[in-house]
Amino acid sequence: MAAPPLLSLEGISKSYGAVRANRGIDLTVDPGQVHAILGENGAGKSTLMKLIYGVETPDEGRILWKGRPVTLANPADARALGIGMVFQHFSLFETLSVVQNIALIVPGSRATLAGRIRDLGREFGLEIDPDAMVHDLSVGERQRVEIIRCLLRAPDLLILDEPTSVLPPQGVERLFATLRALRTKGMAILFISHKLEEIRALCDVATILRAGEVTGRLVPRDHSAADLATRMIGRNIPPPAHPVAHDLGEVRLELAGLDHAAEDPFGVSLSGLSLAVRGGEIVGIAGISGNGQKELAALVSGEIAQPALRRDTVRLMGQPVGDTGVAGRRRLGLAFVPEDRLGRGAVPEMSLADNALLTAHGQGLVRRGFIARAAERAFSARVIAGFDVRSRGPEAEAGSLSGGNLQKFIMGREILLSPKVLLVAQPTWGVDVGAASDIRQRLVAMRNDGVAILVISEELEELFEICDRLHVLHKGRLSPSLPTRTTTTEDVGTWMIGGRAA
Amino acid sequence: MQKPLDRRSFLKSSLAAGTALALPLPAFAAEDTLNVALIVPSPAADVGWSHTLLAGAKALEEFGPGVKITLLENIAEGPDADRIMNKTVADGNTFIILGSFGYMNGGLKLAKAHPEIAVLHASGYQVAPNFSPFGARYYQGTYLMGMAAAALSKTKKLGCVGAFAIPELITSINAWTLGAQAVDPSIDVSVVWVNSWFDPASEQEAAKALLAQGVDVIFSNAQDTPSVITVAEEAGAYVFNLNSSMKAYAPKKYLGVVGTDWSPYFKANARAHLDGTFAGAAAWLSMADKVVYVADLNPDIPADVAARMAEVQAATLAGTLSPFTGPISGQDGTEKVAAGVTLGDDMILSMDWHVQGVTTPLPK
Amino acid sequence: MRLALIRRDTAARGAMIAAPAVALVLTILCSLVLFAVLGKPAGTALYALLLEPFLSWYSFSEVLLKMAPLCLIAQGLAIGFRANVFNIGAEGQLVIGAIAASALPVWYPDGTSALMLPAMLLLGGLGGMAWGAIAAGFRTRFNANEILVTLMLALIAAQVLNYLLLGPWKDPAGFNFPQSVLFPDAALLPILLPGTRVNVSLLLALAASGLAWVVMRHRFSGYQLLVGGMAPRAAAYAGFSERRAIWISLLVGGLAAGLAGAAEVAGPLGQLQRSVSTGYGYSAIIVAYLGGLNPLGIVLSSFLVSALFIGGDNAMVSAGLPVAAVWVFQSLLLVFYLGGLAFLRYRLVVMHRPAQSVP
Repeated sequence: MAAPPLLSLEGISKSYGAVRANRGIDLTVDPGQVHAILGENGAGKSTLMKLIYGVETPDEGRILWKGRPVTLANPADARALGIGMVFQHFSLFETLSVVQNIALIVPGSRATLAGRIRDLGREFGLEIDPDAMVHDLSVGERQRVEIIRCLLRAPDLLILDEPTSVLPPQGVERLFATLRALRTKGMAILFISHKLEEIRALCDVATILRAGEVTGRLVPRDHSAADLATRMIGRNIPPPAHPVAHDLGEVRLELAGLDHAAEDPFGVSLSGLSLAVRGGEIVGIAGISGNGQKELAALVSGEIAQPALRRDTVRLMGQPVGDTGVAGRRRLGLAFVPEDRLGRGAVPEMSLADNALLTAHGQGLVRRGFIARAAERAFSARVIAGFDVRSRGPEAEAGSLSGGNLQKFIMGREILLSPKVLLVAQPTWGVDVGAASDIRQRLVAMRNDGVAILVISEELEELFEICDRLHVLHKGRLSPSLPTRTTTTEDVGTWMIGGRAA
Repeated sequence: MQKPLDRRSFLKSSLAAGTALALPLPAFAAEDTLNVALIVPSPAADVGWSHTLLAGAKALEEFGPGVKITLLENIAEGPDADRIMNKTVADGNTFIILGSFGYMNGGLKLAKAHPEIAVLHASGYQVAPNFSPFGARYYQGTYLMGMAAAALSKTKKLGCVGAFAIPELITSINAWTLGAQAVDPSIDVSVVWVNSWFDPASEQEAAKALLAQGVDVIFSNAQDTPSVITVAEEAGAYVFNLNSSMKAYAPKKYLGVVGTDWSPYFKANARAHLDGTFAGAAAWLSMADKVVYVADLNPDIPADVAARMAEVQAATLAGTLSPFTGPISGQDGTEKVAAGVTLGDDMILSMDWHVQGVTTPLPK
Repeated sequence: MRLALIRRDTAARGAMIAAPAVALVLTILCSLVLFAVLGKPAGTALYALLLEPFLSWYSFSEVLLKMAPLCLIAQGLAIGFRANVFNIGAEGQLVIGAIAASALPVWYPDGTSALMLPAMLLLGGLGGMAWGAIAAGFRTRFNANEILVTLMLALIAAQVLNYLLLGPWKDPAGFNFPQSVLFPDAALLPILLPGTRVNVSLLLALAASGLAWVVMRHRFSGYQLLVGGMAPRAAAYAGFSERRAIWISLLVGGLAAGLAGAAEVAGPLGQLQRSVSTGYGYSAIIVAYLGGLNPLGIVLSSFLVSALFIGGDNAMVSAGLPVAAVWVFQSLLLVFYLGGLAFLRYRLVVMHRPAQSVP
């Protein structure tokens, strides 16, 4: 009889309130296997890993370790079994040295630990000075510390949550070399990612998650990246309800050869971005997140301003605005719904009325420098009524609203500004189906009224539903304009992984 | 606004002090009640300025059980001190001792508002009917220490860490220099002003700077902690200070102390206050008043110099010798005091020049 | 089983009232032990510390006197703190304000002009602003941390004061003591309450409080500062300038501290001396936070902190408490109060962990 698998999950389900994060998941992991968990944001990957690492307990189903059922009440249980996890966000104390950090969790004298750290470093290409202070280390080095901390406990299974999201390309290569070396030692690795090339390069098996369910198990090397993308995004995209074509107005937003060098090492640099949005059309930006969407949004909104020399690379209503700040661009008629609501689109500790003031102060809410309280309340009441924002009224704190309701409030506030150009990032993230449909209808109605709209979204279906044209953003570069009427999801999928349409 | 010393009242107070010490104190009845408040700018620790004031005030307890002493230490000069003075009077204290120059304006206002109280004010110059400034003739002692320093110095360089360049401290340094020159005319004196009454870190830095210049005897001029003393002891340089002995901090190299015992002065004035005869007057207390004394002299002082010092002390006590008897030259060599002339108290009290031999210019 | 603090959905009204009361009771209990160990009369000490500042007219007037600079400086600082601009060096701005204001009476010691006093206040305010502007310039131009810069500037200000008092501005008749001439009457603030030292700077502080309330509550510019403090990314998203917030914060903080410095030399001091710097600039930070950075709260907290200071002085005189014991008492009260405030937003819960079962 063959040895039982190292880890098997049988019918695992986990719900958070009404959200079913994982549904009937089956999964087996064998020793010496690099196993990818592939899925879009929100597909349930992180929840699954938390269940395996004992951070959460499943509602249904059972977990078997080396053939025996186990209950993992907390991470300590998981570690005792031989499961180690490297999180996306590190848990190191910056003011301590490497060996001090490790000694907090791993027993043994400092000197012994330092020796073992050096030994592991040599063996697996994880060289690190045990006495270095963590705050002096680069992000890649910190990740090495996290991995070493797991390895010191000689785990049988190592879980890595989006480990490459924080690494520059050279760091990725180095990490992969380490992981391959670990595999040859017989260790099993669960590798969570949505980066298709990486999975094809490294992993032996992939389990694909979509909307909390397993939708496929395959050997990634046997499939094209496009195929993986389709499986990850889902086949059953509804046939796009293409908006009716109508006469377009003048070009209202134009990017002409926009370059941007990332300021922090994990930002994405943009190069040679060009696009034009006319009054009366919706242009979508598709792409897997982390390919420059945040930077693009900030460059259009003005949160990142360019040097005066490059002011011509962004034009708004015909005027060069590359070096103009947010306030100046808003005065020209730009409105913007950012992807983060709390802390950016809204101030959580302030009332909805005060949050209306954030961008609607030009709508008669300020008179001679004084806040016109009645006008402020009236405006926010209009947003609340007009966009079905479920709240206690204008006095409710923004932080007390659900994500979807707050999104509706912000969307409504920006729409009521009667913008000439509207930039929307992730218009329906976390919004329930009915409200999402409402929001899309509103956007189409604005388009029909002649507003120029640029939508950045990871949801391809949504983009196909509302956009006239699409660009795909990949590694900081834009695809050519793809009219949604004549483009298929497969074409877009190819662009999303950096290939060219056939 | 300097007021010349009133010699008569000065004599009276020193006389009173003398009797108080000499007689077996017959007159203090048990029913005497006296509430005394002592306000000092620094903590009244085991040594230093505030400590000697407190010791002097405590001597008033000899008057009987009716004497109550309230110590208010670490009181910053300024509006807060003014309020605290007011509060002490409101609480029934009638004999107030103010331990810092900076309490002068507030204390004067207080004395004017409350004629029934008596105020003694250290180091000031203003006088009112119930407000007496007092000080000590430290220079009488520092002259003696200068003789000892010159006898022990090998580098012939002396140094002083000074708090503020006010006449009282300048006088002490000048007398020290003159005393040293009486033994060895080639002596040099450097001064570092730290511009603080209490800043042990700066004081130690200053002492180290002096040692680095080759100084081998240091005068800790008006420091309230052994900051300078310990630095000198470690470096093997002789050191002395004012007010109270710090020999414990420099068992080997302690040169001695120019001490102050305020109890005779405080007792005499408290008695006068109780008897209703208190009269405001400036008092500049001396060795003869038994307020200023020299003690804990280092046994290293050669016998011949020690003998000369004893002669000088006897002459000082007898009033036949003043360090400030001409000829004395200023730093630039010009004659400041003509031969045979002795400076009057008013000239000494307002001294704003250094004698020849002090190499550091006076801050302007 | 373990204890955990869980954030409340809304601030607890009960805790808001209970926090100061509980803090007071705990402080009294602790200090009873302290006084017993020291052998000091607890009754007299507590009376002097807590009640006398309000019961004796003289003590009460002194509370008002001390409250004025604390309140004024704290109002200026709070505006910056709410915008996340941490001006820690108000003491330096106060000193420079005092110096700038003293220039006139030092140069014209016999001045009688009615314009002298307003000009002094103006100079004091400008001096404080200039000192704050240095920090603002460093922050906006070189991104230098304003906490450090303002703190370092406070040390420099102290040295400037030293230099002037030991050198050019020393009273020529003052026996080399480090202080300026006594100011002429024309350079002194009028007394507000006859028979006390309370001067019109109290009105200045209250007017500034009203102004701060209007700005932070009803002006759009105040709202922009609040957003910048609460959610900097939201301020960037809305296009509120961070540079502007930094400049406003440091200039207003400097203005308030400079005015307070001018009012000290033209008020209870009556001359420029080293004791102009007694730590008001630092105490005002505590006052600002105790008042919840709220203009009306600061009026209250400056009054209470001032009363606490006066009470401490009283206890030293009446109960013979050593100064260290007074500081312990004051610190205990603040620590218990701030600890109690945590329960406004958080509640304590006992967590039970599920039983472990590892095969």
